[in-house]
Amino acid sequence: MTQPPTPHPDTQWPRWEVFKQDAPGRPHQAVGSVHAGDPQHALVTARNVFVRRPAAVSLWTVREADILTATPEELGTRPEVLDTPGEAGTYHVGLKRTHKRSMTFVDLVGTVEASGPGDALRQAREAHPDALTWLVFPESGVVRTDEDPGTVESWFAPAKDKTYKQQQYYGVIGRHIGELKREGLMPGRAKEGVQE
Amino acid sequence: MTQPQLVQPGETAEQHAAFEARIGRGEKIEPGDWMPAEYRRQLIRMISQHAHSEVVGMLPEGEWITRAPTLKRKTILIAKVQDEAGHGQYLYHAAETLGISREEMLDALLSGRAKYSSIFNYPTQSWADVGMIGWLVDGAAIKNQTMLAGCSYGPYSRAMVRICSEETFHHKQGKEMIVAYAGGTPEQRQMAQDALNRWWWPALMMLGPHDADSPNTGALAGWGIKLKTNDEVRQEFINEHAPELLEAGLTIPDPDLHQDAEGNWKHGPINWDEFWAVVKGQQGLNRERLGARREAHEDGAWVREALEAYAARQVGQAAD
Amino acid sequence: MTATEQQAAGTLSGPLRAALIEKLTALADDEIILAHRDGEWTGHAPILEEDIALANIAQDELGHAGLYLELRRALDGSDADQLAFFRDAADYRSARFVELPKGDWAFTMVRQFLFDTYEALWLDAARTSTYAPLAEVAEKAFREEKFHLQHTALWVERLALGTGESRRRTQAALDELWPYAAQLFQPVPGEAELVAARIVPDLDKLRGSWESFVLPHLTGKCGLTLPDAPADAGAGRDTHTEHLAPLLAEMQSVARAVPNAEVW
Repeated sequence: MTQPPTPHPDTQWPRWEVFKQDAPGRPHQAVGSVHAGDPQHALVTARNVFVRRPAAVSLWTVREADILTATPEELGTRPEVLDTPGEAGTYHVGLKRTHKRSMTFVDLVGTVEASGPGDALRQAREAHPDALTWLVFPESGVVRTDEDPGTVESWFAPAKDKTYKQQQYYGVIGRHIGELKREGLMPGRAKEGVQE
Repeated sequence: MTQPQLVQPGETAEQHAAFEARIGRGEKIEPGDWMPAEYRRQLIRMISQHAHSEVVGMLPEGEWITRAPTLKRKTILIAKVQDEAGHGQYLYHAAETLGISREEMLDALLSGRAKYSSIFNYPTQSWADVGMIGWLVDGAAIKNQTMLAGCSYGPYSRAMVRICSEETFHHKQGKEMIVAYAGGTPEQRQMAQDALNRWWWPALMMLGPHDADSPNTGALAGWGIKLKTNDEVRQEFINEHAPELLEAGLTIPDPDLHQDAEGNWKHGPINWDEFWAVVKGQQGLNRERLGARREAHEDGAWVREALEAYAARQVGQAAD
Repeated sequence: MTATEQQAAGTLSGPLRAALIEKLTALADDEIILAHRDGEWTGHAPILEEDIALANIAQDELGHAGLYLELRRALDGSDADQLAFFRDAADYRSARFVELPKGDWAFTMVRQFLFDTYEALWLDAARTSTYAPLAEVAEKAFREEKFHLQHTALWVERLALGTGESRRRTQAALDELWPYAAQLFQPVPGEAELVAARIVPDLDKLRGSWESFVLPHLTGKCGLTLPDAPADAGAGRDTHTEHLAPLLAEMQSVARAVPNAEVW
C-alpha cells in the first residue's frame, strides 16, 4: 500500500500475501507472497509455492492491495495511516512481536470490528501496543482453502512423502565432520583477515 | 559509526545515527520504517541480483533434467531446480517490499542491465557437473546465505532463513552424488574429477573479489547487511570443502593449496582476469542464459495476458 | 518391497501375473514420459510461479511411476531404473498421447487436464482393487491427482476464456490431443482377466465417467468445440509416435554411457 505505482504496465499479475497454518490450533503466519491472476489461482499457486515441503493444514491468500501494515516508527511520522478509509466490517489482525530470526513475518492473532482499515489498525495498536508491526485486512478479502479432510489430504499431506527434499534423507556422507576436525583437517572457525 | 558520505540530501546525520543505533541493538528494519536512501538502493541492488542469480541458475542444471540417469536423480534434480525458482520468488518478494516491482527487476535482467552471479555463465559439460554444482556452488552459496539470514532488513532476512532451510538439501544431494561417483567405475571417477577441475576455481571466485577490491563491503557491513567479508566467507568455504573433497579421493586443482599453522586451508593465486571477463559477459554463456530467459518471458506473454483478461472479465461479471 | 506386496504377488496365477506386469508397465511408462515432457518446462515457464507448479506435477508423476514399478518388482524382480533407462522405444508401453512434444502452455495444460482426469478417476476406482498393494498405491497417488486436476482444470478454463489468442491456442491443443486421448482407454493384452478379477478398473466404464467430467468442462464451462475424432484408439501400446525414440535417446544417454555403473 505504501508502494508507488509502477511506471509501465505490469505483466507479472497482482501480488497476494500468503498466510499458512502449520498445524491445527497454530496461528496463520505470513510466509511470503505469490503473483497470480485471480483469487482461486492465487490459492492454488500458494500451495504450489509454499507447500513444496511440510507442513500445512490451511492456506489463506489476500490481495496485496487489501492489506494495511504499519510499524511504530511509521505511525510516529505518518499518523494519518490510522485514518486510511475503506469498508466497514470484520478485520483480521496480524502482529510481528520479535526481532528474532524467523522465516515468517506476522502471526494472525484474531479479528476486530472496524469502520475501515485505519480504524482496524488503531484497534490493533491499542490492544497490542508492544508489537513491532501491525497488519490488518478485511475478512471479505480472504480466499481460503477448504477445511474438509479431503482437501487437507490432497493439498497438504503429500508433501510429507517427498522425503528426498529433506537433508536428513541423505544422512552422513563420507566421514563425519567431527572426525575431520579431530584430525585437524578441518579447523573449527576461519581466522579473520585470512588473505595471504 | 555514521557514514557521512552516505547521508543524502533531505536526510540528517541524526536520522542516520538513530537508524544505525537500531541496527546496533539487533532490531530488524521493516518496510514502513525510515531508512537511508542508500540503504534502500543497496538492498534493491543486492536482493534483485540475488534473485536473478537463482532464476538464471535454473538453466545450467535444468539442462540435465532430461538426462538424469535414474528416476530418483531426475526427481531430485527437478525438486532442486524448482527450489531455485522458489528462492528467486522469495527474493523478488523481499525486494518488492522496498518499492520496486518484479516487472522492473525482470526488465533490468532481460535487458542486460542487471547483474547475476557469473558462476551460471559457465557451461555444464557432464552429468557430474550437476553434482559438483550442488556440492561446491551451493556449498559456497550457503555460506553467504547463512550470513545474510542475520542481516538487518526483515524481509531479506526472512527470505534467507527460508532459503537456508531448503538449500542444505541441494548441497547434500550434490555431495552424495560426487562421493558415490568418486568411488564408482573408472569412468565415473574421471567424470567427478573433471567436474572438480572445472568448478573449483569458479566456486572460490563466486564469493566475490578480495576484500581490498570489494567496493561495497564497507557500507554494507556498517548497516548490518553484510556481516562477514568475502575473504572470511571464502576461508570458511575452503576449510569445510577441501578436506571433504580430499577425503572422497579427489584431487583439488590447486598445487599451492596447503594448511597453515592454524589449520586453515590456504589457496593459491586466483585468476581474476577470467572472473572479470565472465562477470562482464565477455566469456561464458551470458548471451545464451539471458536468451533462454528472454524467450521464456516472451513466449509466456500471451499466457500472462490471458489470465489478466480472464480476471478482468470475472470482476466485470461480478459488478453486473 | 513390503511383505504384503510379496505375499500378494504370490497369490496371482501365471496369466494374471503376466497381465498385471504388462498393465503396471503401461501405467508407469505413461508417467515417465509425461513427467519428462513436464520437466522440459522447468526454467522455461511463462511465470516463476508456474515453473514451480509444473515441477510439482512432474515430481508427482515420477513418484507414481516409481510406485507402479515397485509393484512390478514384487512380481518379477525387475529394477525400475533398468526398465526406464535400458529399454528401447519398441519395448516401451507408453501411450502416444504422452509422447507428443511439450508444445506451448495451452498444449501442456490441456494434455495434463485430460490425463489428470483419467488418472484421478482410474486411481479412485483402483482404491478398491482386490490386489491390496495396488489399492494402497492408488490411495496414495489419488490424493495428488485430485490437486493436479484442480490446477489444470483451472488453467484450461482461464486459457479458453482469456484472450482471442489464448482461446485459439487452447482450441488447437484440444484439436490435436483429442484423437490421441482415446488410447488411454485401450486395454493391454490380458486386461479383461484383470478386470474380471477386480484387480484393475474397467476402462470402458472409466471412459464414461471421464467423458461426463471433461465434456461439460471443455464444451460447457470453457466453450471449446470438440473435434471430430474416431472413438477407436488405433494401434496398441507397442506402436509409438516418431517422438519417443529421440526422447529416450536423450533421457538414457547418461545412464547408458556407463552401463556397468553400480550406482548413479
